[in-house]
Amino acid sequence: MALLQISEPGGKTSAPQHRLAVGIDLGTTNSLVSASCGQQVEILPDADGVALLPSVVQYRRGQPPLVGTGARAAAESDPANTLMSVKRLLGKSAAEIAALDQYQHYALDTSRGDAAPAIATAAGPKDPVDVSADILATLAKTAEACLQGELEGAVITVPAYFNDSQRQQTKEAAKRAGINTLRLLNEPTAAAVAYGLDSQDEGNVVVFDLGGGTFDVSILSLQRGVFQVLATGGDTFLGGDDFDQALAQWIAQQAQLTEHQDPRHRRRLWDYANRCKHLLSEQDSVEVSYGGWRGQLDNEIFATLCEPLVRRTLNSCRRVLRDAGMVADDIDNIVMVGGATRMPIVRKAVAEFFAMEPLTSIDPDKVVAIGAGIQADVLVGNKAAQDFLLLDVTPLSLGIETMGELVEKIIPRNTTIPATRAQEFTTFKDGQTAMSLHVVQGERELVSDCRSLARFELRGIPPMVAGAAKVRVTFQVDADGLLSVAAEELGTGQRAEIQVKPSYGLEAATIEEMLMASQSHAKEDMATRALKEAQLEATQLLDATRAAIAADEELLLEDEAEQIAQTIETLEASLETGTVQQIRELTEELNRIGSGFANRRMDAQITTALRGESIDDVEQAED
Amino acid sequence: MLAESRPGVDNFTENYFQLFAIPAQFEVDSSLLMARYRQLQAQAHPDRFATASEAERLRAVQFTSFINQAYTTLQSPLERAAYLLSLKGEDPEKVDQSHLGADLLMEQMQLREALDELPRDETSLAALERMREEVQDKMLRRQAQFASALMADVLSDARKSFHEMQFLAKLLTEIEAGEEARLGY
Repeated sequence: MALLQISEPGGKTSAPQHRLAVGIDLGTTNSLVSASCGQQVEILPDADGVALLPSVVQYRRGQPPLVGTGARAAAESDPANTLMSVKRLLGKSAAEIAALDQYQHYALDTSRGDAAPAIATAAGPKDPVDVSADILATLAKTAEACLQGELEGAVITVPAYFNDSQRQQTKEAAKRAGINTLRLLNEPTAAAVAYGLDSQDEGNVVVFDLGGGTFDVSILSLQRGVFQVLATGGDTFLGGDDFDQALAQWIAQQAQLTEHQDPRHRRRLWDYANRCKHLLSEQDSVEVSYGGWRGQLDNEIFATLCEPLVRRTLNSCRRVLRDAGMVADDIDNIVMVGGATRMPIVRKAVAEFFAMEPLTSIDPDKVVAIGAGIQADVLVGNKAAQDFLLLDVTPLSLGIETMGELVEKIIPRNTTIPATRAQEFTTFKDGQTAMSLHVVQGERELVSDCRSLARFELRGIPPMVAGAAKVRVTFQVDADGLLSVAAEELGTGQRAEIQVKPSYGLEAATIEEMLMASQSHAKEDMATRALKEAQLEATQLLDATRAAIAADEELLLEDEAEQIAQTIETLEASLETGTVQQIRELTEELNRIGSGFANRRMDAQITTALRGESIDDVEQAED
Repeated sequence: MLAESRPGVDNFTENYFQLFAIPAQFEVDSSLLMARYRQLQAQAHPDRFATASEAERLRAVQFTSFINQAYTTLQSPLERAAYLLSLKGEDPEKVDQSHLGADLLMEQMQLREALDELPRDETSLAALERMREEVQDKMLRRQAQFASALMADVLSDARKSFHEMQFLAKLLTEIEAGEEARLGY
């Protein structure tokens, strides 16, 4: 019958070859790319042999953007067109960016609306997503040159504390760079993976991540290759920079510098403090000489100066311990991430708090990228996936606005994802036929204290007395931590749904427009890319479908089998000659026709999942 | 055969205890529950379908959501108790004050007052910790009562114990919030 003919499409289901996938640490200051090179995952260097790519882009009129070391060198001569630390701007509105000291020298362009601010440069307006996309594209190029092949996709890391819009924008940046995102991975999880797989540890791990501007702490439970995040927390306004500032203040005091210094002097003092801080990581005391004052600074004084900062990190540790239902004694390992964890005063405080020495054998600047590379290798199927799984959580609570500007939490923080939760709401007025839904993220009770993610409306509710309509609102968070929301009036089945969009509330058309504008310098390039993307997606689906049929042929219904066979044939034929539109439509068609089969396969897989467990095990459990 | 005995998987209506193949009772072997949970996740997680079709990925998201919900429910003693009551056809949402013992209400009031009177700084952390242990102790006793009432199928007693557990849980939350406020989180 027809089925056999389908499952042998030119021998394409033969043994899988090694697929190229990378891990990317898209950092605030530096970015890295890693991949599996035989046995081990390694950081991939660029053509000059440099591993760290400064996350800096210089935009020039009529020329391609300059990314990395070259751009960083231009920061002083061309500050207005050289964009740095844009990771901090992801998901922020124009008003929020204007309030940040560090970005005062950029000219904001709000022609796309306050919610989607860009920075005016010599090459036109560039928003944080554009800049991130240029960095990602550079890393992808480095990787493709290094690995000599085309990338199947990338695992991109994000801070555990990133909210939904920041995650959406990161994914959007990858899309603009032409990179297929296999998964957004939380940085602490990546770090634990980097350590965990080497040592095959079992137990509870704390990941202590003190970066330049943010602090994250997470607790993971490791068992036979399963990494389950139990709780995550931190402080988005605490980082290595604060230690520089504390030290700078002390030096200013000692040297009796006046309170009001101009920005240039302040910058100089901060740089000096930063150098002292770095020296203190290598030696126990340094000679300080600034503004005519000379003195001695040792780690003891430094520890006293920074005591409030260190205490804040430890408070966050206490809080996540509590969220995980644990005490310090339950922890078996501590992983240190982020350059700021090189400070001996931090290592010492952490070691005392948990009564054990933290792990520091992997470079704290590279550990996240290495973990992402390992996960990428697993996701494309190069590694035996059966003994490796990451279970992550939502970092922030997700909820909906109710009467009186209050937030009703629907998915609380630290819920394991993917997660789906539903809650029923009702109408407030007699005869009310529409309901406006405001989706927010955050821990506070008042809407105004949380981040607004999306607004949408459910219309067509039949007029009833107040409180009679039943509207079920369903939140779904996928494995990347991205949210979609659906609302349904239960009496009529009237539905409305929204996939929470990047830059909160932007219409799909606007995003498309932004995409066009951002790539206007390379239009022909974009058309080819769109075709390539459509072809890639179609090929992936064709491969997946064929593999599925080969594995579970008996689950196909007869007419379904023929329909699938036909669509596969048409899609295959259109791969070479079809337009982007045709390929996309056929891909969608195949997805649609195959969905019943996919569901049956999944159910069959699940029902066999526990088959290995005999009744004896259950009875033993009762003892 | 087994597929037929697990009818709810396809539309996620399966009993949580059946899902993890553990007995439907209050006492749960948490390490066994965790092992079964991870085993299921290892099969169904979307990461297993990273390069599969969209329909399969969506299905994976929905199914793992269900597994997560089931695990969260069974892992928490309070939620597990509520779930067991609902399996018996009781509505755990309906709290009736008359179900609570007068002695418990009295204790509650005293504890709440004591909580309010503590100084609002770090000096009261030790007192809060003691209070937490005390309430935790009471909680364990109520849980044991609930378990045996359910086992004997005396639902009115089970309901009473459950409502008392809810009360104690609320008090624990307040104590913890007090601690957090004093630690300056």
